[in-house]
Amino acid sequence: MTPRRRWTEAIVAAGAVRAAYVPDASTGRSEALEPTGAELVEGAALELHPVPLAPAPGPAIAFLDGIQQWAVVGYDGVTPIVRAHVAAAVRRRGPDRRPRTADEAARELAITRLAALSAPVRRALEGADVEIVDLAADETGQPGRALRAAHLRVDRAREQVEREVGERCAGRLGPKEWLVVDGLLSESRVLAEHPRALGVIKSHGAQYFEGEALERALTLPADHRTSAFRPLGHQHRPVYSWYLRLWPWDGNDLLYGLVRIEARAHPASVAQATALSGWLLRERAPVSTPDARWDRLLYPIHDVETYLRSRAPRDLLPATGSRLPKTGS
Amino acid sequence: MIDKSRPTPIGRVVATELKPATPHQFHFWTANETPIGIGAIVRVEASEGGALSVGRVVYGVVTDGFAYSDLATPLHDVVGAEGDPARAAEAPTVRQEIRLWTAAVLRQIPEEPLQPVPLGQVHVAGDADVAQALRMDAYVGGAQPRAIPIGLYTSGGLEAPVYLDADFLLGPEAAHLNISGVSGLATKTSAVEFLLASIFRHFPSHKGRIAAVCFNVKGPDLCFLDRPGELDAEDRRRYARLDVEPRPFDRVRYFAPFKADGVNLNTLRTHPDLAGDVDPLVWGLQEVLDFAEVLLNRDDIDAKADAFIDFLADRVLNKDFDDGFGRQHRVQNFADLDALFRAIFDGLEATGRSDMWRTHHIATIRKVRNRLANISTRCKGLVTDDGLSNDLPWGEFQDRTVYVVDLANVDPLGQDLVFARVVSKLREHLERRDLGVDAVVVFVDELNKYAPADGPETYVKKMLLDISERGRYLGLVLFGAEQFRSQVHRRIVGNAGTLVYGRMDMDELATPGYQVLSPATKIKLATLPIGELMVRHPHFTQPIFVRFPRPAPLRGRDGVERFPPAADLPFEEAVVRQLLRLDRRIRPNQVKDVIADRRAEDVRGALAAVRRARPEDVLAYFRKALGTRVAPTAPRPRQVVPPLNPISEEPY
Repeated sequence: MTPRRRWTEAIVAAGAVRAAYVPDASTGRSEALEPTGAELVEGAALELHPVPLAPAPGPAIAFLDGIQQWAVVGYDGVTPIVRAHVAAAVRRRGPDRRPRTADEAARELAITRLAALSAPVRRALEGADVEIVDLAADETGQPGRALRAAHLRVDRAREQVEREVGERCAGRLGPKEWLVVDGLLSESRVLAEHPRALGVIKSHGAQYFEGEALERALTLPADHRTSAFRPLGHQHRPVYSWYLRLWPWDGNDLLYGLVRIEARAHPASVAQATALSGWLLRERAPVSTPDARWDRLLYPIHDVETYLRSRAPRDLLPATGSRLPKTGS
Repeated sequence: MIDKSRPTPIGRVVATELKPATPHQFHFWTANETPIGIGAIVRVEASEGGALSVGRVVYGVVTDGFAYSDLATPLHDVVGAEGDPARAAEAPTVRQEIRLWTAAVLRQIPEEPLQPVPLGQVHVAGDADVAQALRMDAYVGGAQPRAIPIGLYTSGGLEAPVYLDADFLLGPEAAHLNISGVSGLATKTSAVEFLLASIFRHFPSHKGRIAAVCFNVKGPDLCFLDRPGELDAEDRRRYARLDVEPRPFDRVRYFAPFKADGVNLNTLRTHPDLAGDVDPLVWGLQEVLDFAEVLLNRDDIDAKADAFIDFLADRVLNKDFDDGFGRQHRVQNFADLDALFRAIFDGLEATGRSDMWRTHHIATIRKVRNRLANISTRCKGLVTDDGLSNDLPWGEFQDRTVYVVDLANVDPLGQDLVFARVVSKLREHLERRDLGVDAVVVFVDELNKYAPADGPETYVKKMLLDISERGRYLGLVLFGAEQFRSQVHRRIVGNAGTLVYGRMDMDELATPGYQVLSPATKIKLATLPIGELMVRHPHFTQPIFVRFPRPAPLRGRDGVERFPPAADLPFEEAVVRQLLRLDRRIRPNQVKDVIADRRAEDVRGALAAVRRARPEDVLAYFRKALGTRVAPTAPRPRQVVPPLNPISEEPY
């Protein structure tokens, strides 16, 4: 009996592009799936621009990234007490091509609803040398709700420490040095207005186009960028942005190898977009495996993250396996 | 000089479940640009951890090294470079990579309780650290230091002297040294020359006097120990660092047998400027008979032959002896002995008696005659027919003197004989404490030839085993060298307290004797530069790499170029040279007149008599020994001892 052809093959045969990879970020956050709009600042329509390889724009490049780790370290009744570690670092890569730490900061937080704690527990917590984040009453009540709230506070704390380190570093950048930020540039006025700062966004929860422009942006071929545009609809600082495809997406996913670049909202950014993109293409090597996001994660950013994780509290790392001694069987 | 100030740490001990730190081994990482390598000595200081760890200091030697990056699989490098190896090198960022080292523990302080190495900071070892790590502090200082420098431990531009313990190198606690390595690159002979110089400089006064006997068994290796060689500034600096004088040996005496003509010395040290200070090594029947067992091969070893040789030595040699057929004999040399043998054979044949003579079977007598005649023929020049010998100065050995016995061109049988006799005499005299020195280093190259791991149990091998196992009590110390240690009898190697390795052959390193070495150490051994050695010593718990300066004496092949050997002299000229060596006032023509028309045997006999007597008036004594001038006569056949059947296959 002849096996029936699978429908997935049938659609490829009909002209669909084969895909076989679903990065975490492709699911996005539900609240950000609605397009927020964009204003083109380069050309009249969203166009594709081939990107030749280009050298780095300066002899030294600084890379900024941050991490967050948190765990529930206790319950008082049903009120969770969360311990969080957030950290950010800038690693500067000089002419010897080796990144070295230029700046870093870390915070340890205790996140809970203080009013919900029993007096002894609260005294013990307040007497400890730790920064306490007190959750609001409407954020707690149910343990699950409290944990979601704690998660959000950890996110904000990490963003804050990243912003602090990033702004410090931006102020110290040499005249030919650049700063590459993992994530949004527009969250900081200093960074958003800096002439030599770039944001590299790997996750695409927010979309700025729809229809034909969306298809053009998300099916961008490798080694191409889109026209520059100004994202609309969010409350951050104005920046210019463009999509850049680092790796071919055929056989993977629409978002595979796709990054969005943010630069200051200035005509010079448009003028430099192709050259800067060509440099970022060169940053594809070395690949940042074994990180699952290696298709969009620049190795120097991965390096900063590795550095921060190596310095994070060991007891906040998830156990990779049994800590029991191995047996002979 | 190693900087004694506390340097910044160069690494940190790491331990994982898969690579834990143990009491005998630990791992540490360093910066990529670290100066340390395989063989480097490091110090670990526990600055944190439990109460028992704080203050603990651990010394280790690096035995292996690893480098790896965060690359998950080689395929990812290909992907990053898009298949172009040239692009891989152009990546804007260099991958994170690690230098991870494995070190074997040399010493822990305190030694008890013995614990896993703490996860502390790693420092490069300084002078004092090296002394502590190698337990040299027990014998370097103190009221009676016993330290013998063997070389400089070097690592990352730092260096520290490494000392051996004289009690463990030269006895009585342990003794003997074995050095192995491939020919030409391992610098075995150079290492021994330097070590002898170091011993002569640092041998503790409370241990008495010491000398060395070196057997030169190949080429001109040891023929110029008293002549200065080339040393550069770096060599001189190393000599100064090790407190050894960068000069050749002050006192060297050379001994070499004659060639077959009995007057020209069988050595490469025959340049006119040097030949005068080589003493002939000549033995007669007495000396040979004492070690006749050397001449017997495995098939020969039986009680009957032994008994007959003992009979000759005890009852016949140098005694008036009746052969039982009516003839009196006084056997003093090979010719006399052969006359006795002929008388016995003739007597037995004439009387028609049985095949027995004084309880000895005629076949046994023939066999012994054959062997003795064989040595007289094959070692002509070493063994003399006339009975007058010239030997090493037994009983008059001088302190800090090297005695070189040049056997390079002597028949292997003769080499065995010389080796056996010299070492046995050394042992005899050391046992009686009347050698003149308290300890003797015997240097034997090509040990795998004299004491092979396989092969027959020869007298020489048995004797070497005896020295190895009991020599340390007597002060008889064996310094053996060979190309392949695995091919030397394991009890001889095993009894060497100190083992030294030059550059080694990889095949040799694959043999079981090297299983304790890490692969990296083996690679280092296989690629050791000239002048670097690996040393194992009872105080060192791990092998240590050291550098030593070039020996101050002239190297053999340089010596041959600077002092090319002279061609063999005509008989008359050779005799003149022999006598001139004893008395510079002699005029050659006088000697030539005296020996004109005289038989060569007579001249050689007279020369031997002069050498033995060393008279004030050499020429007069020589003339007297030669006897009055006689009219020339028709030459008669020389009475030598013809072998009955030199290549006989008879099973005796």
